[in-house]
Amino acid sequence: MNVQEANVAAKQEAKGPEATRPGRTFVPDIDVCETADSILMWADLPGVDDKGVEISLADGVLSIQGNVSVGEYENLTPAYTEYNIGNFVRRFSVSADIDAEHIEAKLNNGVLELKLPKRERAKARRIPIVSA
Amino acid sequence: MTLFRFSRGLDPMDRLLSLQRELDRAFQNPHGLTQGLSGRGAYPPVNVFWDKDSAVVRLEVPGIAADALSIETHGRTLTIGGKRDVTVPDGASFHRRERGAGEFKRSIQLSEDLDTSRADASYRQGILTVRIPKKEEAKPRQIQVHAA
Repeated sequence: MNVQEANVAAKQEAKGPEATRPGRTFVPDIDVCETADSILMWADLPGVDDKGVEISLADGVLSIQGNVSVGEYENLTPAYTEYNIGNFVRRFSVSADIDAEHIEAKLNNGVLELKLPKRERAKARRIPIVSA
Repeated sequence: MTLFRFSRGLDPMDRLLSLQRELDRAFQNPHGLTQGLSGRGAYPPVNVFWDKDSAVVRLEVPGIAADALSIETHGRTLTIGGKRDVTVPDGASFHRRERGAGEFKRSIQLSEDLDTSRADASYRQGILTVRIPKKEEAKPRQIQVHAA
């Protein structure tokens, strides 16, 4: 079995334009992969529920924001902590060939799954070679 | 140490801020928990809280099926293990791969006044919460003041 020391460079704080409100914002871990007809993304957003997710695609920038709910911390006193809690933000520039109207998003167990379908004309086309 | 008791007046952002501040403060105090843990930097990171009559252990482990999590107690040791599968559609190529996959295991020494036989766990929105009640004799007791 391949055992490796998991690298937990604590949660990374988001950089970029400063928010007008104080507080920390974190960068979610993301997997991105591409298939023939779409780009698929998975983002880890622990502690975020359906209502806390905001996704937008404007001017070729895809923004993913996840707002955590803190209700579950009511009446608790921290004894020992290894991670902090905050909203998640991440932005990607996406090629214009995405069909923004048909982006699909699902949230399951703190993982956001996004499907960004490519427009028809961006799909790879196989060109048959005609032998002489 | 402060207790998170959010007043209704606070908006969600203020509530989050006060939570962040308190977590920072606890972070600066490595001896908040009397017994040693397996150490910072291990995966997954753990937060431990107290409420009135139990210890609350919380871990961020998104994307795991509830039945792929295992929680065991052995004496005073709480061990949390799990497995995360990252499935890739056929014929897809990865552009970025940041989310870890595979198995993990983490053990925590609990304090002696907790009753591990009555521990229970829940998993919501990728966060695992294990609640271990204090033993009866360790629960806070009101002491009556008698007027002379």
